[in-house]
Amino acid sequence: MSRARIQTANEARFERAVRPEKPFNWFRLVVTVAVVGGFLGAALSVDARWERLPEAPGQLWNIARLMFTDLDLDDLPDALESMWESVAIAWLGTMIAAVLSFPLAFLAAQNISGRVSVVVTRQLLNIPRAIPEIIFAVALIPIFGLGPLAGTVAIGLSSTGTIGKLSAEIIEGCGKGPVEAAAAAGGSKVQRIRWAVIPQVMPEIVAFWLYRFEINIRASAVLGVVGAGGIGTMLQQNIEFRNWGTAGMALIVVVLVTIIIDTVSGAIRRRIIRGPRSVYGHVVQDPQQIV
Amino acid sequence: MNEPDSAPGAELSTAAADRPRTERPKKPRPSLFMLGGLIGLAAVTIAAGADWRFGVGFSLTEIWDGLTRPNAPMRGLGEIDFGVLTGTRARNGFLETLQMALVSTISGALVALPLALFNSKLGAPNRIAYAAIKLFNNVIRSIPDLLWALLFVAAVGIGALPGMLALFFFSIGVVTKLTSDTIDGIDHGPVEAARASGASHLQMLRTAVFPQVLPAYTSFSMYCFELNLRASAVLGFVGAGGIGAVINDYRISGQWDRVWGVVVGFLIVVIVVERISMMLRRRLL
Repeated sequence: MSRARIQTANEARFERAVRPEKPFNWFRLVVTVAVVGGFLGAALSVDARWERLPEAPGQLWNIARLMFTDLDLDDLPDALESMWESVAIAWLGTMIAAVLSFPLAFLAAQNISGRVSVVVTRQLLNIPRAIPEIIFAVALIPIFGLGPLAGTVAIGLSSTGTIGKLSAEIIEGCGKGPVEAAAAAGGSKVQRIRWAVIPQVMPEIVAFWLYRFEINIRASAVLGVVGAGGIGTMLQQNIEFRNWGTAGMALIVVVLVTIIIDTVSGAIRRRIIRGPRSVYGHVVQDPQQIV
Repeated sequence: MNEPDSAPGAELSTAAADRPRTERPKKPRPSLFMLGGLIGLAAVTIAAGADWRFGVGFSLTEIWDGLTRPNAPMRGLGEIDFGVLTGTRARNGFLETLQMALVSTISGALVALPLALFNSKLGAPNRIAYAAIKLFNNVIRSIPDLLWALLFVAAVGIGALPGMLALFFFSIGVVTKLTSDTIDGIDHGPVEAARASGASHLQMLRTAVFPQVLPAYTSFSMYCFELNLRASAVLGFVGAGGIGAVINDYRISGQWDRVWGVVVGFLIVVIVVERISMMLRRRLL
């Protein structure tokens, strides 16, 4: 053993060296007991048919096999059209939320508005944040009827909370310098916001709009389950009627389109936050522009 | 400045007049790419909103008409029935929602930990495993929670079990993604130290990477619990149990006063859990 080799060189010291005892970690014990206990307690008390759990992997494999061996290219146009409707719902919903949340964000920012306005607006923004889109959608269907309009308004209302809260936080983080400069030049409150605050916060807010659009695509892809438009209807009906080939095509379209839009939108977001990398170099290299 | 003789700032204004005149720099023109992009976005917006085969038929007048017309959901909003919250149905629904969120978050987070370690450039044992896990995770994440629920309801029948399986997969996606993003930003010192003292790859992950991401991982798992709690309100719409099933039943029978009662109760539960979790998470990070 290597220990023996070391001992020959450094015998006396190693005889005395003792690894310090690990202190007993009460916190770790409590957390472990809480997590394990919570898991077992919930798992044993929940009213679920656990005896069917062993079937799940086999059944899932079965469904996946049926879905992807039975694909029919004739379903592709339908799937793409429904997915486009989902993307349209997500896009318009995000725009509604952007328009609604933009003024609310200023009312909810501590460095812009007074105490009362901040507290009231924040609470107002908390409500749609906690309610899932589907609940908005089912409440709007009796009002607008089955179809994509209910889904669009549902996405718009439910995203307003998140976008508003995050925009307010971005506004609160903006630098004081430009605001003071605008104030020193005699800018009114509105002018200070227009020329000192908005230019600072806009890139981050627009990037967040885009991020929310990516999330909303996932949401609008399932809104059809309750009849609020998009590819969800196609998925739900074909899964329910065991029409696996068509369901598989719809699933593939959802996954691919989601990943593609995520990638493109993510690149645009990074570009918006980082700013144009080459502009400074470009200006300096172009002599006509500096003179 | 028109009357330099009488104005108090006379010297100042003459000095200003002597200075060479500065012009405001011209605003740079938007690039062609930007212009094309904006036109493209406008075209997409119009196509998406217009009332034709490929649009949703968006119109403000229709929204206004819909909202001002008398309708059942808004009438129910005026007479919310909070009594429903004390009934056994709602209580069992809430309990089931909590149980489902707890079971699926803990099991999902447990599976997500090794996946997260392997899902980063630093932690992946080799390129192939890295690419495979990344792809697996991207696919899992692009399937929405309700869709998982639909699939599992088809696989194992209705009830809380498909709901928990759906949330389990959803949790794996969320926790893996967030945790592996943190791994990219950790301090490389301990990693080098572990390697220098002859640690195997797994030992390095255990002793150098894991302790560094543990607070973030715990925090993301709690965040995921909040998400699961919120998601479990909708799983019931496809037959996967929880409070959503109760909401759906009241909705189908048109009892909107009760629907809103349950929704308000749900809102309170979510906000309370979010507050507690946020407090704990702030202490962690």
